[in-house]
Amino acid sequence: MATYDFVFSALGLEDWCSEGKSSAPMSMAQLLAKAKGEQADAPTSVWDLPFPSMDALHEACPAFPQSRELTKGLEEGFLDIKDSLSVVLDPITQPLSWFLDGTLYAMLTAPWWIIIPALLAVVFLVSRSWKLVTFVAISIVLLAFIDHYEYAMQTLSIIFVCAFLCVLLGVPIGIAMSRSDVLQRMTIPVLDMLQTLPPFVYLIPLIFLFSVTESKLYGIAIILYAIVPVIRLTNLGIRLVDKDVIEAADAFGMTPRQKLFKVQIPLALPNIMAGVNQTIMMSLAMVVIASLVSAPGLGVLVLRGIRNLELGVGLVSGLGIVILAVILDRVTKASLDRINAAHKQ
Amino acid sequence: MKKFTCAALLCAAALPGLAQANDCGEVSITEMNWASASVVTNVAKFIMEQGYGCSVSVVPSDTVPAVTSVAENGEPDIVTELWLNSTGEVYKRLEAEGKVVRAGKVLDPGGVEGWWIPTYLAEQHPELKTIDGIMANPELVGGRFNNCPDGWGCRIVNDNLVRALDLEGAGIEVFNHGSGETLASSMAAAVQDGEPWFGYYWGPTVPLGRFDMTRVDLGEYDQAAHEANQNADNPNPQVSDFPAAPVLTSYTADFAEREPEVAQMLGKMTFKTDTMSAVLAWKAENNASAEEAAVYFLSQYPDAWSNWLNDTARANLSALLSN
Repeated sequence: MATYDFVFSALGLEDWCSEGKSSAPMSMAQLLAKAKGEQADAPTSVWDLPFPSMDALHEACPAFPQSRELTKGLEEGFLDIKDSLSVVLDPITQPLSWFLDGTLYAMLTAPWWIIIPALLAVVFLVSRSWKLVTFVAISIVLLAFIDHYEYAMQTLSIIFVCAFLCVLLGVPIGIAMSRSDVLQRMTIPVLDMLQTLPPFVYLIPLIFLFSVTESKLYGIAIILYAIVPVIRLTNLGIRLVDKDVIEAADAFGMTPRQKLFKVQIPLALPNIMAGVNQTIMMSLAMVVIASLVSAPGLGVLVLRGIRNLELGVGLVSGLGIVILAVILDRVTKASLDRINAAHKQ
Repeated sequence: MKKFTCAALLCAAALPGLAQANDCGEVSITEMNWASASVVTNVAKFIMEQGYGCSVSVVPSDTVPAVTSVAENGEPDIVTELWLNSTGEVYKRLEAEGKVVRAGKVLDPGGVEGWWIPTYLAEQHPELKTIDGIMANPELVGGRFNNCPDGWGCRIVNDNLVRALDLEGAGIEVFNHGSGETLASSMAAAVQDGEPWFGYYWGPTVPLGRFDMTRVDLGEYDQAAHEANQNADNPNPQVSDFPAAPVLTSYTADFAEREPEVAQMLGKMTFKTDTMSAVLAWKAENNASAEEAAVYFLSQYPDAWSNWLNDTARANLSALLSN
C-alpha cells in the first residue's frame, strides 16, 4: 500500500510491523484522500517518490516510529534530567541573579546627578581624554532629555554585570587554554558552537532549565553569547608572545607564575583588551534579544516597536542602542589605545 | 521540447486544485502566530480549497501588522481570529470607511481574558477566587503577578488595573514578561510543580486548554471603566473585570464582491469556545501540528462545520460528511 512496503517485507519484519498500532493523528494528506473518497494509494509516478524519511517508513510499517516521536522523546528526556540538572545549576547561578538585581537596583535608585558624573569619571579614568568625556556627557544627557535615561541605565547595568563576569571567567579560561594544548583542542569546538548557534536556539533550553521570572535567565544567555571573544583573544595573545622573550625570562630563572604575571599577560594585554571590547559589544547585541526573556532596558522598547508597528518608538530606542554602542566602543578603544601607546614606549 | 513537456507535467502535478476550480480564484488569508488562530486558518483553508475550489495562500501575521496591512495595501483578503480589543482605533476606522466587512464571530461566545490562578490553589484556599482575597494573602499566590509583555493591548489594561487596585502596595510584585512564550512557560512550570501562580492569560489557548485554571473575580464589568483602562495615560483608573472579548473574521469589501459564496461561508464560520479548547488540549497531548489539529476538528466535528457550507461545497466534501 505504501511506497516502502517492500523494504520491510524484504527484511522479514512484517510481523513486527503489524504489531504496531497507528495512533498518530491523521495528516492533511490522509484527510484529502478521504475527502476524495479513495484510499491513500502509493504514488504511481516516480516523480512523487517520497524520501525514505521516518514518516514515509511509518506509513509502510506502523511499528516504525514517526519523526514526531523523536522530538517527543527528546522533550521527555530533557524534562527527566531537568530536575537533577536544576539541583546543581540553580545554586551555582543564583549569585548572578543577586548581582544583576543588585546592580539594577543601585543604578536606578541612585539619583541621576550621582550616576551621570560617576559614569563620566569612569570614562575619564580609562581614557584620559576630555574629548571623549564631553562626547559621552552629551550622549547621556541627550538620552535622558528624551526620557530614555531609565531604559538606557537598565541596559547599561546588565552589560556591566555580564561583561564583568565574562572577563572574570573568560580570562582565566583563556590563560588555561594557552598553557595546555589538550585543553585548547577541547575548548575550541565548544567556543565554535557558542558562536555559530543562533541566540534563539539556546534560549529554548534555558527557559526550561531556569525559572523565567529570575534575572539570571537572561544573564546566562548574554554571558554564553559574549564570553567567546575574550577567551579566544586571551589564548591567542598569550600564545603570540615572542618566544625570545620567554627564553629570556627562563634565563633569568623566573618561575612559571612570575612569567605569566610579569611577562605574558602584560605583553598579551592589547589582545586581551581587544577581546574585552568585542565582549562588551556582543553583550549589547544580546541584551536586545534577551528582552524576549524579560530583560529590561531599551530592547523592550524595540520589541514594542516591532509588535505594534510603532515606528517612532522603535527608531528612538534603536538610536539609543546605537548611542550606547558608540559610547562603549569608543571608551574601550580609547583605553586599548592607551595600553598600546604604553607598549610602544 | 522535451524540457517543456516536463515542466508542463510538473505544473499539472503541482496544481491539482486548479482542475476542480469552478469560479473561485486566488484568496489570501492570515495565519496569526498563536495556536487557535492556526487551527482556524487551516480549517478555513481546507474548506475553501476542497469545498469551493479556491487557491488559498496563507500569510503568517499578527493582529496589528495584519490590520495595518489591510489598511495600507488592502491585502490580505481575509483576516481571521481578529481580537477586536487589541486592534485599536484602526480597525473601527477601516470598518467605518467601508474597506473591511465584519463577517462574523469566529469564536462563540468569544475569547476569555482575565487573571487566573491554578484550580488546585483555588481549592486549597477558596478565598483566593476573588481579587480581595488575593490581596489579603499575597504570600499564597507567590507574591507575584505575571503581567503581559510590553506592546500587548492587555498590558495597558493590566497596568491600569494594578494602579487602581494598588497591587504593589498589597505586597504583590508585578513581573513584566518579555514575551508571550515566557508568560506561558512560567504558568506551565508552576502548574507542573504544583506551585502557586497568579497572572494574566487568555483563551482559548493551549495552556488554558491543558491546565485547569480558575479565573479570579475582579468584581463587576464596568464598560466605561474598562474602556478608560485601555488608555495608557488614564488619570484615574478604576477596577473593572474583563468582558468576553469579541473575536472576529473580517474580509475586505473587495473580496466580498469578488467571492460572495466564500464570504457567506466565512460569515457562518463559528467555533464554539469549548470545542476550540478541546481541540487545543488534544493538540497539546498529541504533540500535533496546527494542521493536524485542523484535521482532527474536521474529522471529529463534522456537524459543527457542515452547515457553514453551500450546496456545491457540501457535495464536494460529501465523503467526509457522510461518516
